[in-house]
Amino acid sequence: MRHAWTIAKNDLSLRARDRSIYIIGLVAPLALAFIFNAVFGGGISDVGETITFEVGIANVDQGPIGAAFEDVIDSIASDGLLEVTTFDSAQAARSAADDGTVGAAFILPEGLSDAVLGGADATIEVVGNVDAPTTTQVASSISEQFGIGVRTANLSVATAMASGALSPEEAFAAAGEAGTADPAIEVGSVEAASRQLDSAAYFVAGLSIFFLFFIAGMSITSMLEERREGTLSRLLAAPIKRQSIVAGKSLASILIGLASMTVLVIVSSLIMGADWGPPVGVAMLIVGAVLAVTALMIAVGSFAKTPEQAGNLQSIVAVTLGMLGGTFVPIAQEGFLAKLSLITPNAWFIRGLGDLTGGGISAALPAVFVLLAIALVAGSIGLIIAGRSLRL
Amino acid sequence: MSNARVLEATALKKSFGDIHAVRGVTFHIEVGETYGLLGPNGAGKTTSISMVSGLLQRDGGEVLLDGESMTTRSLGPKQNVGLVPQDLAIYPDLTARENLRFFGQLYSMPKAELTKRVDEVLEVVGLADRADDRSSEYSGGMKRRLNIGIGLLHRPKLLVLDEPTVGVDPQSRNAILESVEHLSSEGMAVLYTTHYMEEAERLCNRVGIIDQGEIKAEGTRRQLVELVGQQDLIRISATGVPDAALEDLRRLGGVDSVSPADGTLELLVSDAGALLPEAMRVLGSHQASVSAVSVQEPDLEAVFLHLTGKALRD
Ligand SMILES: Nc1ncnc2c1ncn2[C@@H]1O[C@H](COP(=O)(O)OP(=O)(O)OP(=O)(O)O)[C@@H](O)[C@H]1O
Ligand SMILES: [Mg+2]
Repeated sequence: MRHAWTIAKNDLSLRARDRSIYIIGLVAPLALAFIFNAVFGGGISDVGETITFEVGIANVDQGPIGAAFEDVIDSIASDGLLEVTTFDSAQAARSAADDGTVGAAFILPEGLSDAVLGGADATIEVVGNVDAPTTTQVASSISEQFGIGVRTANLSVATAMASGALSPEEAFAAAGEAGTADPAIEVGSVEAASRQLDSAAYFVAGLSIFFLFFIAGMSITSMLEERREGTLSRLLAAPIKRQSIVAGKSLASILIGLASMTVLVIVSSLIMGADWGPPVGVAMLIVGAVLAVTALMIAVGSFAKTPEQAGNLQSIVAVTLGMLGGTFVPIAQEGFLAKLSLITPNAWFIRGLGDLTGGGISAALPAVFVLLAIALVAGSIGLIIAGRSLRL
Repeated sequence: MSNARVLEATALKKSFGDIHAVRGVTFHIEVGETYGLLGPNGAGKTTSISMVSGLLQRDGGEVLLDGESMTTRSLGPKQNVGLVPQDLAIYPDLTARENLRFFGQLYSMPKAELTKRVDEVLEVVGLADRADDRSSEYSGGMKRRLNIGIGLLHRPKLLVLDEPTVGVDPQSRNAILESVEHLSSEGMAVLYTTHYMEEAERLCNRVGIIDQGEIKAEGTRRQLVELVGQQDLIRISATGVPDAALEDLRRLGGVDSVSPADGTLELLVSDAGALLPEAMRVLGSHQASVSAVSVQEPDLEAVFLHLTGKALRD
C-alpha cells in the first residue's frame, strides 16, 4: 500500500505538469455546462433557493377529476415548485407551450371525468416546449403520479402535425407511449416530480461525469505509456507487488477525479447558482461515481496493448455511456432507453443527485450503493486483468 | 552452492512464439566480480538478464540471487538487484533528483538515507550540477548516466547493466566505464552486457560469449583466447641477432615459433606478458640491439569469429 501511494504521488506530480488535465477536469465541463445551460436550460426559473417550473393548465373537463387534478397542481404550486398559468381552452394552452410562454401545459379534455368514472380510457395531455425538456418531464411525471394515462407532445410533434405527416391522434400516440396508464384513479405522492435537478446542476453533473471517464482512463493509459517509455521495466524490477502499480495508478486517477468533481460542484454553485442539495449526500455520490467510473475504465483499458488502443476503447465507452446516461440530453424516465440508461454510472449519479435534492440523503443512498456495486464488480475484473497483463 | 555466489543462473530458457531467444544459458557471478555477456544483436542478452532480474517469466531453468530463487513475483531477491535497462528508463518530466528519489522510495530506502544517497549517486554519475534540471533537457550521455545512477542507488548486491554505453559519446562512455570500475572495486558484483569487445575486455573478470541464445564459451579473457588456441604475437625490431639467439629463443617454454624477417623477429607465444622479459634477456645476452617491441594479443573479437564463424558487429 505504501508503494501504491508512492506511485500515485509520482503520477500526480507528473500529471499536474500536463496542462490537459486542467482542461479535461475543469475547463471543458464548466464551459460546456455553461453553454448547455444557456441554450437548453429555459423554462426553469430560479426563485431564491428553490426551482420553479412554469406550467400551464387548461381544464376543459369541468368534472370532479379535473377539479381534483387542479387541487394537486395547486398544492405543488404552493410548495413553490410550480408556477401555474390557467388557460381557457386547450388551444390557448397548446400555443403557450409552443411559443415557450410556459415550459409545459396540462390539458384536461372535455369528458375526462365521465370517461374515468365510467371506466373508459382517459388521458391527460401534457404539451411540452421543446426547449424545456425538464419542465416537460416534471409535468409528465406529475400526471403519471395522478394515475391517469398521460400523453406528452412537444414541438417536434407539433411540427410533424403541421407538415401533415401525422394526424394529431397518431402524433400523440407516438409521442405518448410513456404515458398510457390504467384509467384507474389513484392520486399518489408527487415526490417524483421533484426528482429533477436544477438545470445548472444537471448539466454540470452530466458533463463532469462524462469528462471523469477521461480522467479515469489515464490510469491505464499512463501504465501503457510507461511500458512504451521503458519506465515500466524499472517498476517491475523493483521489490513491489504488481498490484501496487495498478493500485497506485488508479489511486492517482481517483484523487484527480474527486478533486475535479469537487471543484466543479463548488464553482458551479458559485458562478452558475447551481443547487446540488446537501453536501454530504453530494460527496457520497461523487465518491461513488469516481470509484465506479475509474473501475470501469480500468476494466475497459486492461484489454488494450497500447496507449492509443486504450484511449480509443475508453473514448467509445465514455461517449456511449454519456449518451445513454443523460449527459447530453435528459434521460427518459420510462421505456427501453430509460432501462438501458440504468447500466450507466452516469444515470445513477444524476438520478442520485435528483433524489438527493428531492428526498434528502436517505433517498440518494440507493444510487450510492449502485455506484459502489459497479465499482466493486468492474474494479475486481479490471484489477485482475490489468494486474495479469502487466508485463514488459 | 557457495555463498560467495551472488548470482547463479542455471539452464535459463525463454521463447517468444517460434523464436527461441534463450536456450539453456548457465552462468554465475561471484562477490565483487564483473561478469560480461558479450554477443551480437539478438543474441539473447537482454532476455537473459530480464529473467535474472525478475522482469520476465522464464520458461525453464533457475535463478538464485544470494541463494534465493528469483521470480517475477519475488520481492526479497529484487531488493538485491539494481537494473539498468538497455532502453532509457527515466521520467523525462522529472529532474534527476526526483527520478532518483522516486525509485529509491520503491526500494523502501529510509528518508534520511535516501536524501544522502541521492547526493552521492549524483556525484558518482557526474550530474550533481544538473540535478535539479528536468532530465528531458539532458544530453544523451547524461540521460544514460542518470539511467545508471537509478540502478545503483539502493546499493544492490548485483548491478545489472544492459549495454549502458550504446549511443554515447566517447567521453561519456569513458565516464561510464570508470564508474563501473569504481563500483566493482568497492565490491559490487556486476553483470554487464555489451557487444563491444573492448568493454568486455576492460571491465570483466570473466566473459560469457553468447550467440543465438546460447553461451558458446566462458572464462577469463586469457582462458577464452587459449580455448581457441590463439596466441600472442611479439614483434621485436632488432639488429645483430645471431642464429644462436634464435635457437635460445625457440628453447624458451611457451614459444611456438620464431620467425626472423629483415630487421624484425616475430614470436608466436602463449603468454606475451610472461615471456617478453625472458626474450629480452636472451637477446641481451647475445648482444643484439633492440629498437622496438610490440605485442599483439588476440582479442575476443577473434575468439568470437572463431566460435561462431561471424563478426561480433554487423
Ligand atoms: N518481447 C519479445 N517478443 C518477441 N520476440 C522477442 C522479444 N524480446 C526479444 N525477442 C527476440 O528474442 C531474441 C533475443 O533478443 P534480446 O533482446 O534478448 O537480444 P539482445 O542480445 O539483447 O540484442 P541487442 O544487442 O540488440 O540488445 C531476438 O530474436 C528478439 O527478436
Ligand atoms: Mg538487448
